[in-house]
Amino acid sequence: MPPPLERTYAPEWVETTARQNGLDRMGVRPSLREYIPELWKRRTFIRVLAISKAQAKNQNTYLGQVWALLTPILNAFVYILIFGFILQVGRAGIENTIAFIVVGVFMFRFFEMSLTAGSKAIRTNMNLVRSVHFPRAVLPIAGVAAELTTLAPALVVMCVIAYFSGLLPNEGAVPLAWRWLLLVPAVLLLWCFCTGVSFIMARVVAQTPDIDNLIPFGARILMYASGVIFSIDHFVGKFSWGWVMEYQPVAVYLSLARSSILNEPAYPLDPVMWLVGLGWAAVFLVGGFLYFWQGEETYGRN
Amino acid sequence: MAAIDTDEDDFEVDAEDLDNTPVAESDSERLSLLVNDLHVTYRVFGAKKVGHGPAKKQTALQKFLSRGASQQGVREVKAVRGISFSARHGESIGIIGVNGSGKSTLLRAIAGLIPPASGSVYVAGDPALLGVNAVLMGDLSGERNIMIGGLALGLTQQQVKDRYQDVVDFAEIGEFVNLPMKSYSSGMGARLRFAISASAVPDILMIDEALSTGDAGFRAKSKARINEVRESAGTVFLVSHSLATVKSMCERVLWVHKGQLVMDGPADEVCKHYKKFVNETKKLAEERAAEK
Repeated sequence: MPPPLERTYAPEWVETTARQNGLDRMGVRPSLREYIPELWKRRTFIRVLAISKAQAKNQNTYLGQVWALLTPILNAFVYILIFGFILQVGRAGIENTIAFIVVGVFMFRFFEMSLTAGSKAIRTNMNLVRSVHFPRAVLPIAGVAAELTTLAPALVVMCVIAYFSGLLPNEGAVPLAWRWLLLVPAVLLLWCFCTGVSFIMARVVAQTPDIDNLIPFGARILMYASGVIFSIDHFVGKFSWGWVMEYQPVAVYLSLARSSILNEPAYPLDPVMWLVGLGWAAVFLVGGFLYFWQGEETYGRN
Repeated sequence: MAAIDTDEDDFEVDAEDLDNTPVAESDSERLSLLVNDLHVTYRVFGAKKVGHGPAKKQTALQKFLSRGASQQGVREVKAVRGISFSARHGESIGIIGVNGSGKSTLLRAIAGLIPPASGSVYVAGDPALLGVNAVLMGDLSGERNIMIGGLALGLTQQQVKDRYQDVVDFAEIGEFVNLPMKSYSSGMGARLRFAISASAVPDILMIDEALSTGDAGFRAKSKARINEVRESAGTVFLVSHSLATVKSMCERVLWVHKGQLVMDGPADEVCKHYKKFVNETKKLAEERAAEK
């Protein structure tokens, strides 16, 4: 057994030789100017990864992709039953409880799934991370995009349910209107916001796996604090800090979606809400991206 | 250590399977890789003790208390401890060493996939690593994995489509390409991963034991592919337990032991010393077994 080779190069020599031979340093974070074009080059990769993930999700069941629609419907059904009809919380200040809860549950589910997808982005793709070199930001983006591809058909179901619930005798009408088209920009803004959140979660969970266990609680708190199943407006007046609950991002996007689809006097189209929604999307997308990028060289260590 | 035995006997490779054409020397003087004083440290969760022998017995309460008190649940494992070397364009380098000596970690660190704790790695171009463990996505079909792998390597969608048939033919998976990858045998999976990684002709190709899973025909094809990469002035790294494979494919060999480089030189010479070391360890183990 020979002794280990005691060989190290002088740092100056390494630097000059590397420069002379045109070598790049590995394992250091690329500058934003390199990172963003590199990420843009992988846009096809993001799309294919997102679609494949969405397809793989329900592969192990008999009904397959039908579950992508069935799960949120069943979810909404449970909440309508409990909060709308038994506890009656969802009735206060709302004319059409069914449509109100359905829109809330479908939109919030997208946020919740994005949160989970973001937190698992690095860990579930460890194999990919440890075998190929690519900008890691691809993973959280693709995770949320996969949720978006499942959301698209669910949105159609959501609109259909909302419309037909308006025909029931004791529920308010939900007439078709041009403003339904506003659902598209509302979802796009929510998508930007969710991508930003998943950037943050991806880095936090990659560094501190314990946080993963707290996510369900956080999501639950946000669900009640955002008025997914009852009208925040109705309760907000009772607190002086009610505006915090009203203008926090998740509540803003729910309100945008509801003002587009529903015919509730409590949710009129509000330009201020749209501006706030735009602001949150920009802040989270840019901030989350920068935060994720700062950890770029550390992913893959665990 | 029983694992060492396999190194010596090479029973997974029959000598006559490997063609004995001498490995061509590379003539380029330009460096493609420069590694200086590289240290890699893993963070391991849930480990109580690093080293040999069983851990000290603790009651559940003691375990709970000690974990909260001093973060004993997280351990750092020093997998690579100060390795320096350089490689030239067109060189093919084998990395040998006993199990757990840090070969795979070294490879991953040079590929930029694991951040070094200290030291530096300089590389020309983008390295691609392929290993037996690197499952792409088990739930997806081979077809999808070819697309995802190719795109991850930086190919365009059109390029992947053009090379799709080549990859399938090379991997010899036939109609299995439409089944989820988790239904593949380990050999099929390894062949497909090799074919995907090799489809891009990277500047530096790193192979982690992938060849030991293939049969003789596949090994011959892989060797041809490796030569292609070298001819396009790429560097090839090969981690293998089979000395015969290393000797037939590499001109230069690094011997890694306990995270340190013990020898760096021409393949024949290093392999000779390594074989001697393995034989000694084996003899020692046999003597110990005889004493009991």
